[in-house]
Amino acid sequence: MSTQQVFALKQSEEYKQAQFTFVISIALMVIFLFNVYDFSEDTWSMGWGIFSLAYLLISVLQGIITYCIKRDLLTEGTIQKRSRILGAIQLPSILVGNVFSTAFAFRMLRRKPSIEYTLSYFMLIAQFLIVGVSLFNVFKPYVSDKFMMTMTVLTLFLIMDIVLVLYFNRNDVVHQKNNKLKWLGIALFLRGVTGNLFGFILGYSLLVKSTNRDASAVDKWNKLWNKITRNFTAMLGLLFVIFTFAISVASIGTFVYSFASENNYEAMLLEPSLMHPFGTDNFGRDVFSRIIYGARISLIVGVVTTIIPFVIGGGLGAVAGYFSKSLDNVIMRILDVLYAIPGILLAIAIIAAFGSSTTNLIIALSVGSIPTYARTMRANVMMVSNLEYVEAAKALGESEWKILFQHVVPNSLAPMIVKATFTIGGAIIATSSLSFLGLGVEPHVPEWGNVLRVGSEYLETHPYLAIFPGIAIILLVLSFNFFGDGLRDSLDPKMD
Amino acid sequence: MPSQTTKSMVSTGGKLEKSYRHISESSMQTIWLVILGLPVHIVSWIYYKINFRHTTYQKQLHKQIEMMRHSPKYEELLERYRKQYRSKKEYFNEPILEDEMEQLATQLSDEQVLKLAKAELANQNMEEMNYHRFFQDCLQNKLFLVLSFIPGIFMYLYLLIYSNPFIRYIAERIVMTIFVIVSVTIFVFTMLYFSPTDPAANILGEAATMEQREEFNRQYGLDQPYHVQLWHAVKGILSFDLGYSYTGNEDVMTSIANRFPITLIIALWSLLMAIVIAIPIGMISAARMNTFWDYTLMFIALIGLSIPNFWQGLIFILNFSINWGILPATYSPSNWLSIIMPVIVLGTGLTASIARMTRSSILEVINEDYIITAKAKGLKPGPIFVNHALRNAMIPIITLVGLQFGGMLGGAAVTEKVFNISGIGSYIVDKQFIPDIPAVLGGVVYIAIVISLVNLLVDILYALLNPRIRSQMKNV
Repeated sequence: MSTQQVFALKQSEEYKQAQFTFVISIALMVIFLFNVYDFSEDTWSMGWGIFSLAYLLISVLQGIITYCIKRDLLTEGTIQKRSRILGAIQLPSILVGNVFSTAFAFRMLRRKPSIEYTLSYFMLIAQFLIVGVSLFNVFKPYVSDKFMMTMTVLTLFLIMDIVLVLYFNRNDVVHQKNNKLKWLGIALFLRGVTGNLFGFILGYSLLVKSTNRDASAVDKWNKLWNKITRNFTAMLGLLFVIFTFAISVASIGTFVYSFASENNYEAMLLEPSLMHPFGTDNFGRDVFSRIIYGARISLIVGVVTTIIPFVIGGGLGAVAGYFSKSLDNVIMRILDVLYAIPGILLAIAIIAAFGSSTTNLIIALSVGSIPTYARTMRANVMMVSNLEYVEAAKALGESEWKILFQHVVPNSLAPMIVKATFTIGGAIIATSSLSFLGLGVEPHVPEWGNVLRVGSEYLETHPYLAIFPGIAIILLVLSFNFFGDGLRDSLDPKMD
Repeated sequence: MPSQTTKSMVSTGGKLEKSYRHISESSMQTIWLVILGLPVHIVSWIYYKINFRHTTYQKQLHKQIEMMRHSPKYEELLERYRKQYRSKKEYFNEPILEDEMEQLATQLSDEQVLKLAKAELANQNMEEMNYHRFFQDCLQNKLFLVLSFIPGIFMYLYLLIYSNPFIRYIAERIVMTIFVIVSVTIFVFTMLYFSPTDPAANILGEAATMEQREEFNRQYGLDQPYHVQLWHAVKGILSFDLGYSYTGNEDVMTSIANRFPITLIIALWSLLMAIVIAIPIGMISAARMNTFWDYTLMFIALIGLSIPNFWQGLIFILNFSINWGILPATYSPSNWLSIIMPVIVLGTGLTASIARMTRSSILEVINEDYIITAKAKGLKPGPIFVNHALRNAMIPIITLVGLQFGGMLGGAAVTEKVFNISGIGSYIVDKQFIPDIPAVLGGVVYIAIVISLVNLLVDILYALLNPRIRSQMKNV
């Protein structure tokens, strides 16, 4: 291979994504194959078999596409139209839940991806997953009163998303005043309220570009999202986070809470089936519904226990870093005391004193992470307050507080935001760990740690009760971490 | 022989004088110095007041200032400051206030005159005499040192510690650690003291009479006021005697001492495993940056970071114990195989974060100038990577290991519960429902103490190993 060819391969995002999709598909296929044959009972599983075959097919196709891309890049230097169309074959693989190959197929369909196109197809995938997961309720004995209405709305959104993907596939959005795009942006922005936050981001993006704003704001926005949308794993992470959020919102209309909370002694410890995709627990509660409802609590606790120390710790750190050295000393020495106790242990001590409940859990986890936020903020504020524009503001006679909160703090937020994304994942793990120990959320509430706790008691006979909630936790935490990695690369390439 | 002693005494006096001069620049530390050497300072202050009440310096200075005030230079200064005030107000479009302007101009001019007068006197080789200067001169005096050695021992120790930057750094860190340990004790105790749950009701049951509860409270000293209990708690922590636990009536210190070793053993093995696995992984990833290996290893590391300990433990038990029957599901001290799973589970998160840290810190140093120099010198890539890149990348890794070790001790509670290990973490969890105040307090505070000591050790090692910090300390 000549250096030019190597360069073409290395530069091509499509080629990297193709390889990633290929490896992931094979890995998933191996996991499914592993489950096809039950060693202890000598039985074959029909469901796992179908899945394995589907993934085998996807992997083979993906292998061929990857090969085509590589050949194109080596011979022509660019990916040919034929290979791009071949990539589109992977679109239906979403039907067996392979979001990787579907996202890859969408990516192949446009030569030069725009922020809007990428966001719109991820929005479509998220919407499809929401509709698909909600549809599992059809197999239940009865559905909620609002089910039909909610499903109609969700399906309408799905159709709207398909139209959007087609539109953005053909058109680029440029920075100029455009009333039509402005109204589309507002509509999408409002749609974000229904849970699909991709709509929120896309709508904001359209608004920024179509209303007459100064070019620097547009440039800043483009720079940030260009980097994130080109990062395949970050987008996949964001996809799962948004999906979890959206399904929590949609579950208000589509899921029946009593399946998750009320005891049903006729359906105790059932194996997974279409009616109960993840089986039922020792009180006959549907584990699938419990996990869907648990997402709500995990997200709320995770986000709130990040926001509280972000604000308190950030504020203390900013004050400590900006004002006199003695104030800095006092604040940081007090926080050192909190820092000396590991987070989980501090949480256990706080819960020991004030009892276990969701509010106490949130307080306990928040207090523990105040010092780390304060340290990060302090370091940034110290760095930023030495820059020229702060000096200029001082020379102009601005008040100290105004300088701190108008000039210094906004410019030291980037590492804090990256840190926050990572700590949400940590908070989710901590929440479920404490619930697992019986110290977190009240035991009857469907929270992932609580679901797992029940499952751990039936590990020998019904292992799936412990496996599925665990996978849910890992996927959500992993998604936050992937998104955090992507965010870090685009906001602050030097930081780790 | 006597001359040698004199010589060393003089040099010590010089050292003391130098570090005294340094310290007296900061007001906070001066207060400390006065408190520590109070007897010496009282005597020398009286002596100073008697002998140096009226120095010529103050008179000279006063004369000089008066002289300058009546020279045309003073008027010049006033005019300059008025002009400065006017142009500032004009720039900001604010009204000019005559009173304010005069006041400001006079104030600034007086300051300037004082400065000039002092400079003039310094030119004439006249030095200002104040108590600090007087004391500095005393420190040079051999007789003074010998006489004041016993009463001023603390102050001299303080001055000597202060004179060596490295010893000073270590002393500061030790004082800080003691402060943190005591504060942690106060913080945790206060929290448990104000807990709304009543241990007496929880242990004796709802049926217990008021007398029984009061008897219980008296037995464990819970009827005493807050400060008495707090004093007992702090004393108990520092003297390793926490009394008896509420349930089972066992000596808390013995229980903690029995349970601490296993937690530490598992944590140390996990740490060792993490370092042995993670650093080579990070090196491979950094050396083969943006290749298939890099992506795969970092993907696995991220998964390792995202797995909750307890779930990983359950899956391990399910596969290795229940399905395949290779390893025992619960820990027993007699079977060394049973420690393998807890060690792996506890160490996974640490392994993942060390691997990521190793990769990123190597990538950060690999573009530094000294690496290019090494390349230009003709060194082979292998030695460059190990001797230049890795060695410098180790600094942030050591910090991370020190910090994460604490998190691991805290997180041990979950792992211990999953594998049924009776370590310190599961002890705290078992005792917190009541809440058994001495047991929870002891458990949490002793873990915090171990972590603080580890961090102290890491910081000192850091100062010893890191040339950048060493040189920084010398410059201070």
